Amino acid sequence: MDKQSIDVNSISPDKRHHVFSKLMRESLIDKDVMAATETPVVRMLPDVHVVKIGGRSLIDAGRKALYPVADSLSRILKKERLVLGVGGGTRSRHVFSIGLDLGLPTGVLAQLAMADALGNAHILGTLLAPYGVVAIPPEIFGHLLPLFIQSAPGVIFNGVPPYSIWEHPPAIGRIPPHRTDAGCFILAECFGCKSVTLVKDVDGLYTSDPRENPSASFIKEISATELKQRKLKTLPFDEVLMDILLTTRLVKQFQLVNGLKPELVEAAVNGEHVGTIVHA
Amino acid sequence: MSKELLSQLGAALVEGNLTDVDLLRRTSVPPAIRILPEANVIKIGGQSFIDRGREAVFPLLEELVENLPRHQLIIGTGAGTRARHAYSVGIDLGMPTGVLSVLGTFVSMQNARMIHYLLAKHGIPFIEPAQFPQLPLYLAERRAVIFMGMPPYTFWQQNPPVGRIPPHRTDTGAYLISEVFGARSMIYIKDEKGLYTADPKKDKGAKFIPRITVSELKASNFRDMVVEPAVLDMMQNAVNRRSIRIINGLERGNLTKALHGEDVGTEITAD
Repeated sequence: MDKQSIDVNSISPDKRHHVFSKLMRESLIDKDVMAATETPVVRMLPDVHVVKIGGRSLIDAGRKALYPVADSLSRILKKERLVLGVGGGTRSRHVFSIGLDLGLPTGVLAQLAMADALGNAHILGTLLAPYGVVAIPPEIFGHLLPLFIQSAPGVIFNGVPPYSIWEHPPAIGRIPPHRTDAGCFILAECFGCKSVTLVKDVDGLYTSDPRENPSASFIKEISATELKQRKLKTLPFDEVLMDILLTTRLVKQFQLVNGLKPELVEAAVNGEHVGTIVHA
Repeated sequence: MSKELLSQLGAALVEGNLTDVDLLRRTSVPPAIRILPEANVIKIGGQSFIDRGREAVFPLLEELVENLPRHQLIIGTGAGTRARHAYSVGIDLGMPTGVLSVLGTFVSMQNARMIHYLLAKHGIPFIEPAQFPQLPLYLAERRAVIFMGMPPYTFWQQNPPVGRIPPHRTDTGAYLISEVFGARSMIYIKDEKGLYTADPKKDKGAKFIPRITVSELKASNFRDMVVEPAVLDMMQNAVNRRSIRIINGLERGNLTKALHGEDVGTEITAD
């Protein structure tokens, strides 16, 4: 700290004890001040891929669906480092329904859902244990991630972002908007990871749900802005991902692939376009 | 899972798509409960209040303690000038928003600890996020708790549209606590009378606004604002906490008036 800082700290014209900095006395809401804080961001884990394994679509589907995905992941882990997130699946849906019936608010539902995804993280961790990949407790996961990923080829976390009772109230209804797809993507953005792959049980994004409408057409690639404008009735991923992509600095896209064709998971991590890519 | 155990909505949630607007609308139907309807959430500003030291903080804490027999208080703390220093250094060094969020959390926690020690003789605890399950007991027993205003998003803090400062800071964290618990009020204690058309510290011509709705405030597109803009977005979606109040805590009596529901400072309402 320079001499100016000492003066400012001891005598402050507005009676507030400031520490000298570029943001001193500034409102962090002022639009011009905010614009001045746009600088290049470091990438903490530029070689690491984030892969989200669907809860309801793959883990709840049992052995037939998940074992081949686990095999595929084990092959990827021989050459690439993976942060694996999981969804909470059916049990989260069930706890939402009971919680809603009891009148509990969105933040409480978000807090409850953490447990289901953590259970699924342990299931996937058990299957990948032979490769040294286990579920990490959420309390230490973020801070120790760079250490873990240097010591093991991969780590697993419950994809839930730690919003808990601080979850944002959604525009419509009471379901927590930041679920496990969002948790995986925001983590990848913060750590500057190489890619984000969402693995579910559909080939990608369609103009409508292909299970309900056989004439739905496949969307191979789309921007978040265009996807928002299309106002599709349902999406195969968390809706907030579109908004998150619009403010992203380091990770500019994610790919949705079908885990029922497990070879596609390897292809997607290798950078091949084998599902739907949604980009910023 | 047996379908017979579930309500119709329950079955739809288990089988349906959580991005389906029709399904999401149905989740608003069951009446919401208020978890702590008697509690008031108060946020003590960091730069605007705690950074002023004893001269500002001691009289406010006296007034706070005087109100304990009548009001339950959940007291959040802002971060302030040290967070600005950390953000400033962090931005220069290329830290991502999630790391800046961690840094802001630490400063907000320092302020919570200081307020906690000043109120310790009244038996008022400081709770970290993991200790929130004890909050109802402390409120019932001691009438107040202190928490750090910063929401614990850490590395999962979302990027702002412009720049890198975490958009969800202590105003937002405190607000979300008032919303989730269905609290009786959300009061922000700052060093200005309330909302002005510009920063009154920099613009002498700034006009005071005693009452305004979120949509009016958004339409006015002020360059600066007395609360984090994210609070306004969340108020529009809120189930419970549809208004907030901003008061000047440097004037003794304002907090008491606000807790009594009197019209003091600026009230911002969702509709």
